[in-house]
Amino acid sequence: MSLLQRVKNFVRSKSIHVAYVDVGSCNGCDIEVLACLSPRYDIEQYGIYVHNNPREADILLVIGAFTPGWEEKLRSVWEKIPDPKAAIAIGNCPISGCVFNRPHSLIDPPVAKHIPISAQVPGCPPRPTEILSAVLAVAPVVFKDYEVKKR
Amino acid sequence: MKRTVDVSIPVGPVHPCWKEPARVKCETKGEYVLSAEVELGYMKKGIERIMRGRPWQEVMFLAERVCGICSVIHNMVFIEALEAISSIPVPDRAALLRVVVNELDRMQSHILANFSYCYTIEHETLGMYLLDVREKVMDELERITGARVTCAYIVPGGVRFDLRAEDALHLRANLAAIEEEITRYMGMFENGPLIALRSREIGILTREAAQEACAVGPTARASGMPETDRRLRHPTYQKLGFTPVSREEGDNYARIMMRFQEVLQSIALIRMCLDSLPEGPIRGGGIPGAGEIAYSGEAPRGELSYFIKTDAAGRVLDIAIQTPSIMNIEACCHYMLKGVASLADVPSTFVSSDPCIACTER
Ligand code: SF4
Repeated sequence: MSLLQRVKNFVRSKSIHVAYVDVGSCNGCDIEVLACLSPRYDIEQYGIYVHNNPREADILLVIGAFTPGWEEKLRSVWEKIPDPKAAIAIGNCPISGCVFNRPHSLIDPPVAKHIPISAQVPGCPPRPTEILSAVLAVAPVVFKDYEVKKR
Repeated sequence: MKRTVDVSIPVGPVHPCWKEPARVKCETKGEYVLSAEVELGYMKKGIERIMRGRPWQEVMFLAERVCGICSVIHNMVFIEALEAISSIPVPDRAALLRVVVNELDRMQSHILANFSYCYTIEHETLGMYLLDVREKVMDELERITGARVTCAYIVPGGVRFDLRAEDALHLRANLAAIEEEITRYMGMFENGPLIALRSREIGILTREAAQEACAVGPTARASGMPETDRRLRHPTYQKLGFTPVSREEGDNYARIMMRFQEVLQSIALIRMCLDSLPEGPIRGGGIPGAGEIAYSGEAPRGELSYFIKTDAAGRVLDIAIQTPSIMNIEACCHYMLKGVASLADVPSTFVSSDPCIACTER
């Protein structure tokens, strides 16, 4: 492994930027993502920063069942994120549509149909610790030796 | 009259300060905001369409998921509407426990709203303090109901779990700690000179404008309309002798202080409930039957109404939900944002009215 790669690995392991996008949730999962910021769970002690700006993000947390309003927009948000990147589905909604996946509803789950999802955190809503451990588990798999794997 | 508009600036739908997607389009002249228009439609799931024709046991869980932040009040209003239709009695102990859980939910919602505001005006320290206090409230909710969010605690004829004696002790101890901290943070908010620069006399909603826009909840009460509080008409709150608080200024600062005051008020209400909690059953009997009713309650953001029509088997034939945020968003866009002197104040003014897009669009 080249020195440059090792430097990159080290830097990436300590600075993961997270953005979240809400594609039609009930808000329950949003507030659990926000709770991760609180001093009790303290997401920043792991070197994870929540900016909610897709242009500087590494990981996108997708919350909510997919509503028609996001048809084209979610893809464009995903494309704005620079490589290497990963998307994590938070809650039952992006995985299966949760309680909203019934006849006559307007949603179109799963979100995996629209953008590639690397991990799923089931729960309605999941606990902040589970969200945190999902981000921590995905990050090394995606970001470590990214350039080597790409080749 | 011809208006000179320099640029029309869209804010959102993905914005660093907003928890939920909404787009505010501002017509500006320089930095001065001439008018604003909100564009919704990113969260429409069609919950009411799913609800029609389903048994109440399913609609109950759907009702909770109209809004995850204030899930308890959706649960409570839906179940109390069912009880009113079929005259199901509620034991005294259960009625008071409902108030305890509802007020805990209101506290966490208000603290979250104030966190969002502090975060938006870049006072992250105070925001983090507030999030830390909120975790204490969430602990109490979890101890009593078994879940942090969407707890489905209230069922027809009572509540699911009793409050054990040790939980009551824990709750009292935690309330004392929360009260102390909230009082301290209120002082910080009140006396912070930079906070005052960003909040005082910005986004003013006068009493007349609030009436015109039908503002509800803390937004209306910060503009001097205490009578908008639906808790005044709830029998359990009436028994507790509830009187709403209000402020006169109607700016961002007043709205945030209003929520702080209501948190303190909620603490006092919970204490009153704990003091007067009688022994007895927490769940009576009763079967939801046929009928129709319009029923309202006070959600953390304002008045929440359900119109329900059921058949004899307890199926929901028709349902319409009116949530508070839509009125506050209207008040925000057409009255508060007009004349805001700088674009930087647009997100903070929008957040100060505590919009909840999920329940607005359902
Ligand atoms: S998974 Fe549950 S809590 Fe999360 S957004 Fe969906 S319905 Fe709400």
